[in-house]
Amino acid sequence: MRKTVLKVLAVGVLLAALPLSVFGAGKPEESKDVTVNMFQLKVEIKDAIDGYAAKYSAATPGVTVRVETLGGGGDYGGAMKAKAQAGQMPDIFMIEGRGGYDIWKDYIADLSGEAWVKDTDLAFMVDGKVVGFPVAIEGYGMAYNAEILQKAGIDPATLTTRAAYESALKILDSKKAELGIDAPVAMAASVAGGMWWVAGQHNLAAYWGGGLGFNDTSIIEKALKGQLDDARFLEYAKYVQLLFKYADKKILLNGSYDDQVGSFAQGRTAFLHQGNWVDPNLKQLGVSFKIGYAPHAFLTKEQKGLYLFAPSWYCVNTKSPNAAAAKAFLTSIATTSDGHDYMVNQAGMIPAFKSVTLKPSGQLSQALMAANAKGGNYGVFFGMLPDGAGQNVFGPIFDLFAQNPDNLDQFIADMKRAVANLPKM
Amino acid sequence: MKQNRMVNILFVAPCIFAFVMIIIIPFFFGLYFSMTDWNGINNAANFVGFNNFRNLLSTPDFLYSFLITIAYTILSIVFVNIVSFTLALIVTSKLRRRNFYRAGFFVPYLIGGIVLGYIWQFLLNNILVGIGNSLAITALQTSFLSLPNSVIWTMAVVNTWQYAGYIMLIYVASIQSIPASLMEAASVDGASYVSRVFHILIPMMANAFTISLFLTLTTSFKQFDMNLTLTNGGPATRFLDVPVKASQLLAMNIFSTATANRMAEAQAKAVVLFIALLVVSLLQVSINKKKEVEM
Repeated sequence: MRKTVLKVLAVGVLLAALPLSVFGAGKPEESKDVTVNMFQLKVEIKDAIDGYAAKYSAATPGVTVRVETLGGGGDYGGAMKAKAQAGQMPDIFMIEGRGGYDIWKDYIADLSGEAWVKDTDLAFMVDGKVVGFPVAIEGYGMAYNAEILQKAGIDPATLTTRAAYESALKILDSKKAELGIDAPVAMAASVAGGMWWVAGQHNLAAYWGGGLGFNDTSIIEKALKGQLDDARFLEYAKYVQLLFKYADKKILLNGSYDDQVGSFAQGRTAFLHQGNWVDPNLKQLGVSFKIGYAPHAFLTKEQKGLYLFAPSWYCVNTKSPNAAAAKAFLTSIATTSDGHDYMVNQAGMIPAFKSVTLKPSGQLSQALMAANAKGGNYGVFFGMLPDGAGQNVFGPIFDLFAQNPDNLDQFIADMKRAVANLPKM
Repeated sequence: MKQNRMVNILFVAPCIFAFVMIIIIPFFFGLYFSMTDWNGINNAANFVGFNNFRNLLSTPDFLYSFLITIAYTILSIVFVNIVSFTLALIVTSKLRRRNFYRAGFFVPYLIGGIVLGYIWQFLLNNILVGIGNSLAITALQTSFLSLPNSVIWTMAVVNTWQYAGYIMLIYVASIQSIPASLMEAASVDGASYVSRVFHILIPMMANAFTISLFLTLTTSFKQFDMNLTLTNGGPATRFLDVPVKASQLLAMNIFSTATANRMAEAQAKAVVLFIALLVVSLLQVSINKKKEVEM
């Protein structure tokens, strides 16, 4: 009898403890100091942003900035949704374009009055209001190995039309053995390698914005209504065909990011279709040759600009009681010398703010910064497309075209139909 | 006695609590959300009835994923069960070091699907192609993962490599539970090894086949991790004249729909997967059960 009573007691205690341990855990400690929670997805700058947040917290009495980084290519959107559902929405979070804005717009504060707004061209704007702080400038063109081009007798400054590319690629292809390269171009387009974004997002961005004014979104606006500019797309498709035909087939059809960048870094390809984010990879791979950027000149008429964009923006949670402190933290990044040092020297980014005078160390980043200063660059608008359009719709189309680059008409027909379906997505 | 029942209930309660919170409630929420236009954040989702399900019928990539999932499941069931049954016969024979082989065949199952996918991707994309290039064997020079028509065969082979050892253990246990006297008697009567296997071993092991077929059916139908890392859905192919991903199984199709913030649509796909799996596995178990013999 006593045993059963004990048993019942024991189980009862266990059961009582269960909800206590579940619901008791999450309660924050009460304090008057403000804690600004930031949730960001750039793993590569984790140490830099943690360091800057600690420095800022130490210098600003009463404010502690805590940064949480989602590591290892995790699902940021999913994690954010979980946080929102759990009532733990961060004070500063990131969006990567219009898709993210539409999802989180109820939470996104108006930042139009902030001091840094006048200092940048790349703030995220909606209906004339500034709502996003540009994290950095990223950009791309056609990266080239200057030594290989010189040996082949090609002047990269002449690569400003599709015809110029065609003759340069022909020369490189005919001198493969002499130059020690596998193929002229390191281009990736495979679904299997997870490289849909190089072709279906970054390369396709040339069609959306190449040769137009920096803020000219007319072509993509048209596409969002379901229409393709036939003459312009034909020129673009011929450029893609050219790249695919002269690309290393193994990398094109099956390669991963590492395969693509590795081939260029080892001097086995002369051109690399990637952005300035490969700088750290190239450094790690011990690249010593000179690198520059040529434009993605897909038109018959001359094009000289590179593609510049802010890949992501910080937004302030307007429903948070700490919104003012969060705004002040962002402003400090853009306006103080410590903030500039963090962006350029610690995080290795290209700041989107004109007042920054520090220079990044990577060759491609320097090329971009020079292009930014010179002007005449093109905007990158794929962020305006509906979520999943690049990965699930354009990705397979480019993959199929890469498998059979002679079938230009099929590629154009596929893209035409995909664009016609965009309004329904 | 009465108090014992009380104790039983209390001991079961934590499990019931977890089961209800983690399985039952989300399941019904899922059913509800599949009939809304929920995007994952906004709690005010509009009820749209069966619209999501109706749209699925005109979505080529979903239809394609559904069909190749069935094809992949059939391939996997056949490969895994033939290989594992053969392995079970080998390691229950009078072979020397059979315990070593038993352990060896089981080891691949201990490797996680993610890691396994990357290992095989490297083998197929780099090692095999490298061998093909250096020995000038044309068949090996293109990676097996870049052939849209046969990529699910490759996946089924990799799945067999991983899963056969586990199913083998079920067959081994079942073979060992058959009284040796039965086999000996048949052998004294002059039955050959093959006829002993087909007329005594297999009928006596019917319950092992039920469970093995069920396990291979459900795991292949829900295959995700290896799919994601080995092929990532690629390469592309054409289905109903639309470019689709040649090796994107259902679970991965649901995943990529959900990560594109189309939660309600993904949920509708998940409900379809659940119903299909339920129907097929109930059918399979009821057919297999009829073949079982009581000892």
